[in-house]
Amino acid sequence: MTSANLYLPNPAELVEVIDETPTIKTLVLAPSEPLNFRAGQFVQLTLPGVGEAPFTPSSSPLEPERIATTILNTGTVTERLHECKAGTTLGLRGPFGKGYPIDKLQGKEVLVIGGGVGLAPLRALILALLADLGKIKRLSIKYGARCVEELLYDKECNSWTADGKVDLARTIDNPQEGWTGRTGVVTTLLKDMDVDKSNCLCFICGPSVMLKFSTFTLIEEGFTPEQIYLSMNRRMSCGLGHCGRCNIGPYYLCKDGPDMNYALIKDYPNVF
Amino acid sequence: MAIYFLPQADLRGMCAARQGTSTFAPVSTEHLAWVDVIDPESFMQALSEPRPSQSPKGFLLPAAESMGEYGSGAKAASVATESPPLVLIGVRACELRARNYLDQVLLEGEAEDPLYRQRREATTIVSCDCVDCADSCFCTLVGGEPFPTDGYDVNLTPVDGGYVAEVATDRGRQWVGDDRIGRLSEATAAQLARRDELRQGMTQRLKEQNAAFSVTASDQSQPKLPDDNDDAWQRFAADCVECGACTNICPTCHCFYLYDQALGPAEFERVRTWDSCLFSTYHRMAGGPSMKLTPYPRLYSRLANRVLHKFTYSPQQYSLLGCVGCGRCVDACIGDIDIREVVQELGE
Repeated sequence: MTSANLYLPNPAELVEVIDETPTIKTLVLAPSEPLNFRAGQFVQLTLPGVGEAPFTPSSSPLEPERIATTILNTGTVTERLHECKAGTTLGLRGPFGKGYPIDKLQGKEVLVIGGGVGLAPLRALILALLADLGKIKRLSIKYGARCVEELLYDKECNSWTADGKVDLARTIDNPQEGWTGRTGVVTTLLKDMDVDKSNCLCFICGPSVMLKFSTFTLIEEGFTPEQIYLSMNRRMSCGLGHCGRCNIGPYYLCKDGPDMNYALIKDYPNVF
Repeated sequence: MAIYFLPQADLRGMCAARQGTSTFAPVSTEHLAWVDVIDPESFMQALSEPRPSQSPKGFLLPAAESMGEYGSGAKAASVATESPPLVLIGVRACELRARNYLDQVLLEGEAEDPLYRQRREATTIVSCDCVDCADSCFCTLVGGEPFPTDGYDVNLTPVDGGYVAEVATDRGRQWVGDDRIGRLSEATAAQLARRDELRQGMTQRLKEQNAAFSVTASDQSQPKLPDDNDDAWQRFAADCVECGACTNICPTCHCFYLYDQALGPAEFERVRTWDSCLFSTYHRMAGGPSMKLTPYPRLYSRLANRVLHKFTYSPQQYSLLGCVGCGRCVDACIGDIDIREVVQELGE
């Protein structure tokens, strides 16, 4: 426990703005002090005077002095964050939450499933795993976006598969000129996968409907709820388990999540 | 530490001497606010009345407060200033139980709330036994008793001519004053017997007044309630108008919202306000038209979530029941929703 005022943001300079897609930008921040986080932990990003919103860093946990958040323009705060230029001082609180259970991945096959901007938090996991590939048996990434223009990390993602242990499959919702890859929603990539189901853990992040159908598809494919981790979407305010709004049953996503083992939450209604 | 007999004149004198300092007490059952004690008579009478309509929650967790300032132009350090000393007189057993609950939430978790901590440590609690109760009081249904057993600095039991005063802490001793304590006599066996008699009588009265309810809950055991997707909740939600009175008046409800405001070009303030899980906006997230923007679009699910938090989730989270049986939500609800009926009807 600490008595520092964890409700107030620490300054962080916006050092770079990367246009990822027409709706998504990555804001690279230099916190006043290195912000050590585990992949999957989240931060509260403050736009001074406007408000704050929770984001899981998309950058490597190995670079605590340079935190990237990849942000979809979808609400009051994110719209204003998209207008920010390099040099602006923003605020950061955190990290909050448990983060991905990296310690459980020793010798495992890791299945990472992203939908839309949901690939952002998973990128931190992917980068952490790429930095220590000897630890895991295999990394399989499945990603779906609405259209070609919305494919996140389009240029970078091919470099993830440099090692034979890593494979990547992508799909867009509908056929589009110039796209020769898979089409259909991301669940179409989850059928009849070449994975060792008994030795695999799955991490899913995306919009609620995508979490739902990805989970159901994995269950149909023979995975157990214990093998599935979901990055849950809930409104958050304090990040500390105090303000009450992000509960699923007795769990507060801000301190017990935001990635929840599906076995813990599956019996609560309104999960998805 | 020790149990004394505190004559009425002494309590009157102690309060008169403290004029100008922050000593708050409820003045009467009907009065919504706790008031700064100026006229001791007004609150001394209230010590023998039922619990006031408002709990002292707001002294520790104000309805709105600044969490501090930030930005390059903000005041240095930006941590809120120290809380001034505060004495609360007339805190009831249910309110102490609620305070213990707030302690669990705001102090005992992985992170501590610094503002709550400051206020908590600056507050002297002078509790009192209930020697009367409101029609809505039901502490005995939820494992409580109408007299404090721990968590106070001094506890008062009104008896003939004064109070049986149990001084439990050094802070309580300071409040009474060493000189005065030296002059006080210990409570007699007869006075202690009278205290027991009053306590048993009040407990019995509460059990009788709630005899129609078969609810039995405690920190250790709770009735099983349907999940928040069960439309059985609709029977009660039909009378809910989402006013948030129950959550505001509840001594354990602590949900809040943080918002920011600009004080100047490079100076900003973060403000905390109470919020209510019944409001349709409470869980609402940003997102487009194709997104599910709230996990609780239906009012009955939100009402269920509130009751489940009290009776199911809190025991799992904190090993404490989230309802202390003060009955204030029963009084405050303009739809006449009685949480005793809700739990009785839907619980197994």
